Amino acid sequence: MKNRIQLSLFLLPGLLLYVGLFVFPTLTGLFYSFTDWDGVSPSYAFVGLDNYKDSLSSIVFRKAFGNNVEFMLTVVIAQTFISLVLALLLVRNTKTKVVLRALYFLPAILSSVSVGLIWAFMYDPSIGLINYGLNEAGMSSIARNWIGDPKIAIFSIAAVQVWAHAGQMMIVFIAGLQGIPAELYEAARMDGGSKWQVFRTVTWPLLAPSATIVVAYTTIQSFKAFDLIFTMTDGGPNYATEILTTYIYHTAFGSYSFGLASAGSMIFLVLLALLTLLQFKALRADRVSY
Amino acid sequence: MKKNKKMILPLVSMLVMSILLSACGGGNNASSGENGSSGLGKVTISFMHWRGEDSEAFNKTIDAFEKENPNIHVEMQTLPSDQYQSTVQSKISDGSTGDVFASFPGAQFQAFSKAGLFTDLTGSSFLSAYNPKLIEAGQKDGKQYAIPYQLVYNDPIYNVKLFEKYGLTPPKDWEGFLALCQKLKDNGIIPIAFAGADIGPGQFMNTMVMNNAPSDDIFTKVEAGEAKLTDEFWVKTLTQIKELNDKGYFQQDALGTKDPAAGALFIQEKAAMLASGSYQLAQNKQQNPNLEQKLLAPITVSADQAKYEGVHTTTFMLAVNSKSKHPEEAKKFLEFLSKPDVAGAYANQTGQNVTVNDVKYDTPELQVAGEWANKKTVFQPRFTILNGDNQKAVTNSIQAVLSGTSPEEAAQQAQAIIDQHIGK
Repeated sequence: MKNRIQLSLFLLPGLLLYVGLFVFPTLTGLFYSFTDWDGVSPSYAFVGLDNYKDSLSSIVFRKAFGNNVEFMLTVVIAQTFISLVLALLLVRNTKTKVVLRALYFLPAILSSVSVGLIWAFMYDPSIGLINYGLNEAGMSSIARNWIGDPKIAIFSIAAVQVWAHAGQMMIVFIAGLQGIPAELYEAARMDGGSKWQVFRTVTWPLLAPSATIVVAYTTIQSFKAFDLIFTMTDGGPNYATEILTTYIYHTAFGSYSFGLASAGSMIFLVLLALLTLLQFKALRADRVSY
Repeated sequence: MKKNKKMILPLVSMLVMSILLSACGGGNNASSGENGSSGLGKVTISFMHWRGEDSEAFNKTIDAFEKENPNIHVEMQTLPSDQYQSTVQSKISDGSTGDVFASFPGAQFQAFSKAGLFTDLTGSSFLSAYNPKLIEAGQKDGKQYAIPYQLVYNDPIYNVKLFEKYGLTPPKDWEGFLALCQKLKDNGIIPIAFAGADIGPGQFMNTMVMNNAPSDDIFTKVEAGEAKLTDEFWVKTLTQIKELNDKGYFQQDALGTKDPAAGALFIQEKAAMLASGSYQLAQNKQQNPNLEQKLLAPITVSADQAKYEGVHTTTFMLAVNSKSKHPEEAKKFLEFLSKPDVAGAYANQTGQNVTVNDVKYDTPELQVAGEWANKKTVFQPRFTILNGDNQKAVTNSIQAVLSGTSPEEAAQQAQAIIDQHIGK
């Protein structure tokens, strides 16, 4: 009994952090979501479900949700594909490939705010490196107003998100690839399988757990993106890159509507929890053993 | 003994946790004693603001103040403006920090005054040091809650030498402005460097709307549902901004250009005008000492219909925290900042104009803005929009027309967002 008490003491630091940094703020947010608190006044009134109704009927909230889904799908598809291709190309442990892996992984350790600021500068249509490079290379027709054109701005930022995290996901795929027994490839080749057949029947099924991790992680990471969009466009132009997190930020700190922002946060939390649940189920269903 | 060892790790963890948590809680006023007293009757007051770039100038001011008031110690705390906007209320609301603090005009001032965070400064003797018209932004319900310290003219800057080279002078009406832009364009100069991705719409809309608006409180009426953005004044403003863009008077792809890039076009003399404000004059000069700059506001109507020559903003609104334990000392500090020589030293060191009367400006850039004190200017219309979402809807309608939406449709979209806030 005494031993159990002693052991449970080990849980305390983590538990305190969890309660202090997650449970308490979440419950406080839930409480304020039913009020008209402006974030400054000592007083507030209870408004019932009004904030939830206002959020769900808000033109900007709906636009932000649509952008969020668009951003997430673009990042998930592009990042999973690119990281898989990189992993297949760099799976062997040669010196060059190890160096290349480190290079591709490098953006993941950079601060996302720095990444956002640098890329915003590179995307600049007047003095940015990208359009300058395209023009110099005689490819002016490809040059675009990357983050100023509402039709492509969200994809331009998604590209930066993929650039920053594809290397990280490549490492997950490489770990998965290196765990596939070599004899399975030998057997497949002896059976006369082409490269594509080997990939389809051996590599991909056994890589499924890694792919599920990559998709799950990327989905959640891209759904709750904030830093890149905040630093690159702040939701603009004309709400073209406004996502739920920037909407919540603007509502709280631009309009001093903390009650409304809290309701937005709660809806966001539920959406994120649902996504995580779906991913978790998929993760369990896709488990493959050999 | 073994059991004792087992206990060490959890205990150490708890100790570390408690130190961490207490450090988090005590961060606001680390060097002050209880009640802001720092020994032998010396009182410490905290001064919170967002202008980290002015720290050096303020440190000199504080040194001079402490010499004059040896029993008061001023501790300055600055935060970047974004962070200040999001965290200052939690820091100052209990009075433990920010005895003197700065506030933005508009939404923040409204929220803070509603929360009762300001001490009423009405009747304070030092108010007479200020230009009464320029401190109106710090008033509410007839009371002076804050003193706007900085004076900015949100009018486009122009390159005097380039204008002289092409024989141009600031036009008096819209036709003249279009002709001026065309001449610059014909000579291979970008007429207006416009930071469409960030500050551009919020800055440029002010001079563009000042003479189109039927009254100075038009945006207050829009927020109250008594006027609409689909009314002529805003559709006309959007149409004129679109005209400038469609005729190529902004740099190419202006909507993707951020403030530093637009500034660079002007500093490198590729653009003749920069759609920002007087706050940028000193920085431009620092980066290109050959620049000769003045301010110019586009007049969007005929000369005889023009009510205003430009736009001004009074900001960096200094206030005394109503929860301060040392309001008298805090007021003393404000009084000190109100002295013309102190305000002048601050202005000349930071390159910012101030609202204090009888200040002598040393640099041509400050003098340029100083000349505008005699012109007919209106308080920045954008800051009369008190709801942040509404303000964003208005500036976003400018981005919408620049990306091809018709002025009528852009105004309608923005009005739909504002309609959702009316009455809330």
